[in-house]
Amino acid sequence: MSVSGRLKRLFGSLVGLSTGERVLVSLAAVAFAIGAGMVVILGAGYAASCESPVLFILGVEFCYNPTEVLFVLVEGAFVGNFELGRTLRWTTLFLFTGLSFAIPYKAGLFNIGAQGQFVLGSLGTAVGVLWIAGVAPGGTAGAVVLVSAGLAFGAVVGGFYGFLPGYLKVRFGMNEVVTTLLFNFIATAVAFVLVDQYFVDESISGTQTRAVPEVARLDPQLFPDSADFSLLVLLFALLVVAGVFWLLRRTITGYEIRAMGRQPKAAVFGGVDERFTTLFSMTTAGAIAGIGGAVYVLMVVGRWQTGPPPVGFDGIAVSILASNNPVGLFPSGLLFGVLQSGGQEVQVQTGVPSELVGVLRGLIILLVATPELFRLMGKRLQRHGIIDVGTDGEN
Amino acid sequence: MSVAVRLEGITKRFPGGVVANDDIDLAVERGSVHVLLGENGAGKTTLMNVLYGLYEPTEGTVYVDGEAVTFDTPQDAIERGVGMIHQHFTLVDPMTVLENIALGWEPVRHGGLGIDDTAVEEEIRALSERYGFGIGDVVRTPVEELSVGAQQRVEVVKTLYRGADIFIFDEPTAVLTPQEAEQLFDVFEELTAQGKTIIFITHKLDEALTAADEITVLRDGRKVDTVDAAGSTEDQLARQMVGRDVLLTVDKTDASRGDTQLSVSELSVRNDQGITKVDGVDLQVDQGEIFGVAGVDGNGQTELVEAITGIRDHESGSVSVRGEDISDRSRSERIALGMSYIPGERQERALVLDFDLIKNAFLGGQRRAEFRTGRQIDWAAVRDHADEIIETYDVRPPDPTVTARSLSGGNQQKFVVGREFLRDPDLVVAAHPTRGVDVGSMEFIHEQLLEMRDRGVAILLVSAALDEVTSLSDRIGVLHEGSFVDVVEPESVTNEQLGLLMAGKTDPAVSSR
Repeated sequence: MSVSGRLKRLFGSLVGLSTGERVLVSLAAVAFAIGAGMVVILGAGYAASCESPVLFILGVEFCYNPTEVLFVLVEGAFVGNFELGRTLRWTTLFLFTGLSFAIPYKAGLFNIGAQGQFVLGSLGTAVGVLWIAGVAPGGTAGAVVLVSAGLAFGAVVGGFYGFLPGYLKVRFGMNEVVTTLLFNFIATAVAFVLVDQYFVDESISGTQTRAVPEVARLDPQLFPDSADFSLLVLLFALLVVAGVFWLLRRTITGYEIRAMGRQPKAAVFGGVDERFTTLFSMTTAGAIAGIGGAVYVLMVVGRWQTGPPPVGFDGIAVSILASNNPVGLFPSGLLFGVLQSGGQEVQVQTGVPSELVGVLRGLIILLVATPELFRLMGKRLQRHGIIDVGTDGEN
Repeated sequence: MSVAVRLEGITKRFPGGVVANDDIDLAVERGSVHVLLGENGAGKTTLMNVLYGLYEPTEGTVYVDGEAVTFDTPQDAIERGVGMIHQHFTLVDPMTVLENIALGWEPVRHGGLGIDDTAVEEEIRALSERYGFGIGDVVRTPVEELSVGAQQRVEVVKTLYRGADIFIFDEPTAVLTPQEAEQLFDVFEELTAQGKTIIFITHKLDEALTAADEITVLRDGRKVDTVDAAGSTEDQLARQMVGRDVLLTVDKTDASRGDTQLSVSELSVRNDQGITKVDGVDLQVDQGEIFGVAGVDGNGQTELVEAITGIRDHESGSVSVRGEDISDRSRSERIALGMSYIPGERQERALVLDFDLIKNAFLGGQRRAEFRTGRQIDWAAVRDHADEIIETYDVRPPDPTVTARSLSGGNQQKFVVGREFLRDPDLVVAAHPTRGVDVGSMEFIHEQLLEMRDRGVAILLVSAALDEVTSLSDRIGVLHEGSFVDVVEPESVTNEQLGLLMAGKTDPAVSSR
């Protein structure tokens, strides 16, 4: 079996579970990962050398205190307007890139390319907004024009970059796992060259575009400026999530996407156009990742600059933790937002390297991707009458 | 003769109140073939799963060789000599016959590091020779390269190798050609001659009468009767099975044919491997006519049907509906033209197994106006449609929220047939429409086909059951190696003559075109 086939089967192993089981699996994975992460932090604290150990157990000195780390992590994510804003900022971005993985997944496709779609979408937004800024009106009208144009630029460029691997698949049968993965590197490199050669801001050092005009920025409401977070944008993101949910559950295209994802041969029997469905889901996914890129430019950094955060890759984990179900994306995105946001605080306050928070994130993904363990545990508990798990499928 | 298996008062209730078996008594003589006969959902398989240790009975006792036993797992059953051969094989395709048979029961050497495959091979050859299985020469061949019939014999040898004395066969002929089924019954004889006991689950009357010594009829989870096969008739068994009189022969009037509905000319089609499977076929189906396609499986039926229905591209030639060339039309456009299609591979093609029946009722009907309100799917309307299918075609369980996967094969088939027939089609392409369904439903499906024909629907019928083709069709095209050997009227040929044509031998005395 090919590598991508194995990958598909690995992810696909999640699918056979019922809704109730999936929720249990995800919660169990998170709880286990946190527990295991604490042990790892304790171990790292034993191995590290420091001047003033914070924890003594049976005479052994530890540099890091796991409960303190957990406390700081949660406090750093929620306590304070800035902290909460920072958490929700990440959550917002994860919603877009998470959807970008979830939609093709429903069609039986693996879009590993949200990162590239995100990067090029954000470049499209930055360049596009700067391009039309000169002719846009001022004041509120200008803000409306520039912001909607910016989102549209991101969607179009990202959508095109999602369309490409879709086209390569329907036209030449190229495996989308491979193409979308490799397209990420192409996107990063192409964006760098374009900015470096044509759009670079000469006034400051580094490879970045000029800042978009102040009117095009998505201003924070209720949160401090430094949090770079707008509640309206989060609401917009949730609206997009709801829209995707509606698309999948209530429209013919959504039905056809799900039929193709579940059983391609039966979908063909039912008159589903495989090529259209592939192109549609890949393009939509790219467009949504591109909108994420637009939000990143207009809400967070205000320009395109090198070194974008790997939110496209994180989106895969967010989506899988949510069982690729739009309904689960918000809690899942929030958890990853907390880890991202609180993780920054952990490093500052406790001296625990942020890589250890990365280990925690890795553990969550790892444990979610190995659901069999939890499924068997759940089955065992069910057999002993300890828990009652619904056996209904979707809907 | 002694009794090999005795079931006493077996009742199996499932959570939710479904009673699959209700106080069933059964005694199976050693060295005999005992048939369990019943419709889809009558409780045959459940009863045998109780005997095989897959289910625990709610009430009642199982006796093997006169001794009360409790099997918690199939392993316990195997150890007491009870083996089961399922309809869907439990073989690992890429592994050899030898590896499959030895799997889990390998005699080891070198202290557990190696498998003593010479010993296994010798035993397989000995078993094959003793019972005439003919798999002695393919011991080292991967199972996937064997025919379905041979794979089934591998299953039998595997069960024998594990020391089984009592064999349960769950609808074994569903996957076999008629010739392979004959061979299986020969295997039954060999096994019983050696003192083995066979319990054979089926819903096919002719098979029951051919193979059985005794027949137990089940209906709605209850035992109706146990009778000797000798002296029983199909009519009487059908009545016991269904609970009313069943018309086993089709009563049909002459066709009143209208305009040509489907016209295929010079059609050539390749299969996935690029081999030409349909080679220059011409055929017309008129309104109000059933055109039957007879032929041994694999002579191009699947490819012909898939090219007509728009699943598969064709190489050359054309397909027209009502005089209009639809060769380049997509599958969904052909559905919109009023084409219904019952594919032979119902599990792969006709149903999304993980979807519930509501969503499956929608499959193929996505573009229909009555299932839509604006841009949205009207799921309530789809659900009503699902309920209609379930009620009209007696799909069990009658619950549209269960997944298609959870239905038995016969009920899946009834659901698919119902969905395609209730679409009010102008053209029906039906491949094996009654495969796996019980006699009661078969009668109903046949009636529906004839009723649609009389309303002026054009029907292309492909079936491996020769009786079905000859009794329903107005004309029969005999397909051999991708082209029609002849097109005949059913009244003018005997089954023997059809058999010769199917083998590719043209008989000038038969032709009546």
